[in-house]
Amino acid sequence: MFKFIFKKEQRIQKLIFEYLDTMKLCQDSFLKALQACLLNGSLCENFDFFIKQTHKFESKADDINDEINNLMYGKALIPDSRGDILGLLGAMDEIPDLFERILYMIQTQRLTVPEYLIDDIRDLVRISLECCDLLARQATALFKKTEGIRALLNTIDTNESHCDHIERRIITKIFESDMEPLQKLQIKDLIIEIGDISDEADKVSRRINIISMKRRI
Amino acid sequence: MFSLLGGIFLGWSLGANDASNVFGTAVSSKMVKFWTAALLASTFVVIGAILSGQAGIETLKGLTSISLKQAVISSVAAAITVTIMTFLGLPVSTSQSVVGSILGIGILNNQLNMAGLGKVVACWIGTPIGAAIISVLLYYGLGRLYNRAALNLFESDALIRILMIVAGSYGAYALGANNVANVTAVFVGAGLINVFYAALIGGLSIALGILTYSKPVMETVGKKLVRLDPFSALIVVLSLALTVHFYTLVGVPVSTSQAVIGGVLGIGLVKGVNTVSRLTLRNILLAWLLTPVVACFFSITINFVIHLHYIPAQ
Repeated sequence: MFKFIFKKEQRIQKLIFEYLDTMKLCQDSFLKALQACLLNGSLCENFDFFIKQTHKFESKADDINDEINNLMYGKALIPDSRGDILGLLGAMDEIPDLFERILYMIQTQRLTVPEYLIDDIRDLVRISLECCDLLARQATALFKKTEGIRALLNTIDTNESHCDHIERRIITKIFESDMEPLQKLQIKDLIIEIGDISDEADKVSRRINIISMKRRI
Repeated sequence: MFSLLGGIFLGWSLGANDASNVFGTAVSSKMVKFWTAALLASTFVVIGAILSGQAGIETLKGLTSISLKQAVISSVAAAITVTIMTFLGLPVSTSQSVVGSILGIGILNNQLNMAGLGKVVACWIGTPIGAAIISVLLYYGLGRLYNRAALNLFESDALIRILMIVAGSYGAYALGANNVANVTAVFVGAGLINVFYAALIGGLSIALGILTYSKPVMETVGKKLVRLDPFSALIVVLSLALTVHFYTLVGVPVSTSQAVIGGVLGIGLVKGVNTVSRLTLRNILLAWLLTPVVACFFSITINFVIHLHYIPAQ
């Protein structure tokens, strides 16, 4: 509707979908990096390559975000929508940042995960990334059609609670183990960072729901 | 033609002040660029004045018989009143000050059309009330349609921007049609110009005010209004336009400022919040009572002063 008039807005819409695609690529390469090193023993094949890939996609997401900001400051959209989209993308941008930060943490601190934690961490990562997939679907619903936003929020919320539960379980196991105290703290920090992925996804999901609700009369 | 200058000045100040009521929210919130708003508003004000301004001109003309000199006096008295009330920060109505100044002339001439005056006062009371009622009805009616359309963020944004421009243009049309009588009706009554020229000159002088001096007023007055969500802002402008258009058909010039406040009050009623502060309401009431009285006073005083003659001592 009105596509012939609002060219700047169309460009923003296209960039937002490009941003979501880039976020998905960043997420895939984050998962490959974890699988290459942390979740498959200590093989660490191609780990550095996947870190570079993750960094590349994270930077690309930043560039797209900047371009959207510039278009917004060029007075595209009404101020209310402008504020909503800027806030949403700002919050969403925390997620690729987290992916990159987690991988750098593993790389710089040379972290290795004990065998007995691998299954739990694999679950934590899987459910956290599922939250990100659901979040992308929810954002698409906001910008393409308005149905299903609330249902997706509920699913993300359930997943986030599940992640919190797994996170607590892993941390308990860490401190019950006979690992070196320094290693305990390092692994605990890593788990907290991974747990933050679902927390961030949940926060952004709530924001999307509010943006959608605001547009109901 | 020199006598028309007072009226043209009044039209200019009306355009500079009242354009903010129709496009102020859209411009101050950057929904519409100032020049887009100013060009649309000035065009539709002139169209409204020419096509539908006649009824209001006939009503004001019929309030009392008036000479050319008295027409100039009433214009100047109305302009002074608007200036003073604006200086005091009260939400002044040009319509009320014009009717007040004509009333002053009527008192001096000992000739007043009380039935016409009663109709005008009734419409003044009906303006904010009518706008509030229309605003409530529109909010529910259009809100239901809007929800049913289930638009995404971009579609909703585009629709509201387009409707805001359409509603603003309609508001400008109603402003021109309704308020042109304030500017030049007295000169028709005095026999200086006919109704068509009165509408044309009045419309052009309002448009001149919009094009030359409405920018700062739009930017500040728009922000002074309560911060409304875009849909509510649209409803307020639409209810203003419909209310003022209704009174145009009745043939009574009313205040667009009071219609806006009525519309905002209506939104407050729907949402169950105080959209207009007690201080604003007090100022409106004060201005409502004071404006016609002050204009009447100035009209009588100016008339008295220019009829003073120096009588040398014998």
